[in-house]
Amino acid sequence: MKRNVPLMIAMLGGLIMMIQYFIPHQASQDVFDYYTEWAPLVGSFALILGVGSITRVHVHKIRAKAPNWPFSLAVLIPLYLIPLFAFFLPASIGGGTENPSLFDFMYSRVQIPIQATMFSMLAFYIASAAFRAFRAKSALATVLLVTAVIVMLAQVPIGDLLGRWLPDTGLWILRFPNLAAKRAIELGVGFGMLATCLKIIFGVERGWLGGAGE
Amino acid sequence: MNNWERFLNIDRRWIYLLIAIVVIVPFFIRMGLPVVPTQEVRSVYDLVDSLGPDDAIFIGWDFDPGTEAENQPMGVAVLRHAFARHVPVFVTAYWPLAQGLAEMGLASVFDTRVPGNFVYVPWAEWESVRAAGYAGRDSLESAWEAAGNSLPEGARGWVFEGVDLANLGYLPYFSLVILGMGTSIANQYPTDAYGNNLHDMPILQAHKNLREVDLAVTLAGSTACMSWVVYGTSRVGLPVAFGVTAVMATDYFPYIQSGQIVGMMGGLRGAAEYEVLETEGGYTETTGKAYRGMDVQSLAHILIILLVILGNIAYFAGGFHKKTAMKNRR
Amino acid sequence: MLKHLELLLLVAALPFGTATAQTASPGDPGEAAAAVTVDSLAAIPTVEPEVAAPPEVGPATVLTIQDFPNDAGDHLILSFCESPNPECVLAYLVMRRTPGAPDSLGGQWAVVKNVPSGDPTEIVDGYDPDFLVEPGTQYEYRVDVLTLDGRQIEGPAVTPNFSPKGEIFHTEKLKVLIGCIIFIGLIFLYFKRAQMGHELYLRPIPGIDAIDEAIGRATEMGKPILYVPGLSSIEDVATIASLTILNRVAKKVAEYQTPLRVPNRDPIVYTVAEETVKQAYMEAGRPDSYEANSVFFVTDSQFAYVAAVNGLMTREKPATNFYLGMFWAESLLLAETGSLSGAIQIAGTDAITQLPFFITTCDYTLIGEELYAASAYLGREPKQVGGVKGQDACKGIVMALVTIGIVLSIVDIFTGGAADPSKSLLLKLQGLVDVTSLE
Repeated sequence: MKRNVPLMIAMLGGLIMMIQYFIPHQASQDVFDYYTEWAPLVGSFALILGVGSITRVHVHKIRAKAPNWPFSLAVLIPLYLIPLFAFFLPASIGGGTENPSLFDFMYSRVQIPIQATMFSMLAFYIASAAFRAFRAKSALATVLLVTAVIVMLAQVPIGDLLGRWLPDTGLWILRFPNLAAKRAIELGVGFGMLATCLKIIFGVERGWLGGAGE
Repeated sequence: MNNWERFLNIDRRWIYLLIAIVVIVPFFIRMGLPVVPTQEVRSVYDLVDSLGPDDAIFIGWDFDPGTEAENQPMGVAVLRHAFARHVPVFVTAYWPLAQGLAEMGLASVFDTRVPGNFVYVPWAEWESVRAAGYAGRDSLESAWEAAGNSLPEGARGWVFEGVDLANLGYLPYFSLVILGMGTSIANQYPTDAYGNNLHDMPILQAHKNLREVDLAVTLAGSTACMSWVVYGTSRVGLPVAFGVTAVMATDYFPYIQSGQIVGMMGGLRGAAEYEVLETEGGYTETTGKAYRGMDVQSLAHILIILLVILGNIAYFAGGFHKKTAMKNRR
Repeated sequence: MLKHLELLLLVAALPFGTATAQTASPGDPGEAAAAVTVDSLAAIPTVEPEVAAPPEVGPATVLTIQDFPNDAGDHLILSFCESPNPECVLAYLVMRRTPGAPDSLGGQWAVVKNVPSGDPTEIVDGYDPDFLVEPGTQYEYRVDVLTLDGRQIEGPAVTPNFSPKGEIFHTEKLKVLIGCIIFIGLIFLYFKRAQMGHELYLRPIPGIDAIDEAIGRATEMGKPILYVPGLSSIEDVATIASLTILNRVAKKVAEYQTPLRVPNRDPIVYTVAEETVKQAYMEAGRPDSYEANSVFFVTDSQFAYVAAVNGLMTREKPATNFYLGMFWAESLLLAETGSLSGAIQIAGTDAITQLPFFITTCDYTLIGEELYAASAYLGREPKQVGGVKGQDACKGIVMALVTIGIVLSIVDIFTGGAADPSKSLLLKLQGLVDVTSLE
């Protein structure tokens, strides 16, 4: 029962949305609108569960004095303090979301730089991965390597300085061979998605509900 | 362990240090390498350049702070271009954190200390002029200046909130918001990000839904940009242009070829190309942050290519190609 | 497109909806067709000159009103005949009212569309959110002329003999329906074949074969297993595919009693992942071993999530990392940190741009559709395997179409079709299968 009801809902929902696509009638559109109104509501409630989860995990670590437990404090304190700054603290003492406020300070002076730092680490990691893993081990790997060098040079002004042919070749690679390969993979992915969706709708695939193999 | 092996197993922190050096040095020693705009960026620029006060564009801040370095200069460049041509702009945010980034982008265009910037006139500030009757942007500007307001020296023009700009802000499940805006923008956003009633704004009275919008430029670091194509282009024929991170750009060439998107700014290079086109078009005196970043990117790419070449030299010279795959984990 | 705001304001200042207009209603509801044609320019209500004699301007008339095809009954197509004196016209105002309805419900004439002179004279009514077209409602239309000197010349009112209604089937989607029937039919055919006991061969995929080995390695080392189910939402099929693999992995993990860590970015994915793992432990007969905090939500912010997971990798040093699902720019940040921590790594994604990063930093990578097939490989249930073969059959059809397209494009070069689109065989084939213009 616990598994059959969700499976029935998945089947019914999947079939309705499939049929709805072909019916432009108002009644069909109402079904679609109804779904689109519900989706954000369900998502919002799930977020509450999410916050509950992160709180539970870290409270547990703090209580148990698990290794590195002070990091859990670093998670929990801002998690609850920042909304407090934004919604409950009076504007006279730095509350609210306007600039200047404590919330704005945390956002623009802490969160943005930290996140930008995380992304910028890509440059370091790419360099390291390229040095360690990019080898001309075979003829195909050599083609890949030469292509990568051309595209990389084509993406920066120094490529223009070396000759107009370089950026032109780089763009040609992106516009044609890249496109062909991408389409081939995407076709496979598309049919993979189709088969997975059908398996879920018709209950062949139950693993996502924890019922694999039944 | 021979020297080649030692070289291949070099502590990766040395590589990080080299990258740090090539990233920092160009900030002090400018190279000013030439940037030649590609067709993909030129298409976006040309479309914005063909628009005027009767048209409207959306600029979607659809990225997180993580990709700010790549996406923000694109947004700023398109904003400047649109404001210079008096094209009304709707600003939206796909993620909660993106709203702050959108405001930062707008603030950088409205920073009057920077020559060539625009002067922002908030909705409430020109209420008295509005009360006397709004009859179009030109007459508004004349009435505003007749009321004793003058452009600061070096400023390029006025941006009247509600006429030239509506900052709509963030709404959750933004894909569904785009879907809803196909019918009515005001139904999705009864008020703008600052709580002003959108129904009263001339920009909304002239452009009630996405069918009455001429372009959406989505700046994204994820597949968020696809929502504009799925719910904007496919459903209501909204022309969409992408401003995406360099790593994602290769993904979207098929959409340009099929005509589903107008054009694309790929990574910092795309933003730099837009800046160059703006400068050539006389909309800005000098290029901006993205163009400056191209020196850094050039050197970083050269360094990575050198590392790949050196790695391969060591690999072959050390005879590793003859051995079984070497586990190179530290 | 309603672009001329000045014009709109000018219209707002003009008095319209006069008694003359409301009495003019020559539309004959007795017509059988769903389109009404008004070709009479007679009986035109003219506007009296006020001060000096302004030039005589003839009115515009509604030509046809048609129900919009393949819609929910909320649009009408209207075309009108321009004024015989276009040089004096600033714009045309398409006016609409609902006869018999109270004023608050559209009983009064209102401008639903402002068409600047020279713009196309066929418009779709129903796009303006302030003047929506309701299915089943009878409307009355007229087109007024707004002259350059500010006069509004009323046109004759027309009532179509039908009301807009929605269609039951979108005829333009017939090609999609046929495609769906073929592809879905093929997949079902292979489901059936597999169920009937036909032996279906699946080529070995090293990444999937290595999953058991990777779990075993973590067990031997007494270290946890990290499972990242991608960063996308539950709507993403890659996430669902990942959760099905998580179920199989969790079962093995439960059998071996190895600690499992499943950090989540999406709250809904978190709830489903938690349920999946819990069920897997129960099915493995070890519900007591399930650790409540093994599946947890981190944050919905992309790079904050990466920071948290990277922190977990460097502190707990998992022996095995799985990255299966949808990934964006964070792929290399995660996989490189995992590589640094010395874990054996298995990745799988349909995000093509992220594949190179995983291939360079992970021990095994499932490329594109291999991610979707993984569940079938792990379970080997007949229907699952049949699904994979069905996919292959679908691909076969597309490959055949691509090959035919290539042949036709070569034929076009010799037959002149490449230069003349009307002779092009390739374009004819494209016309048969192209559905890109649909929603």
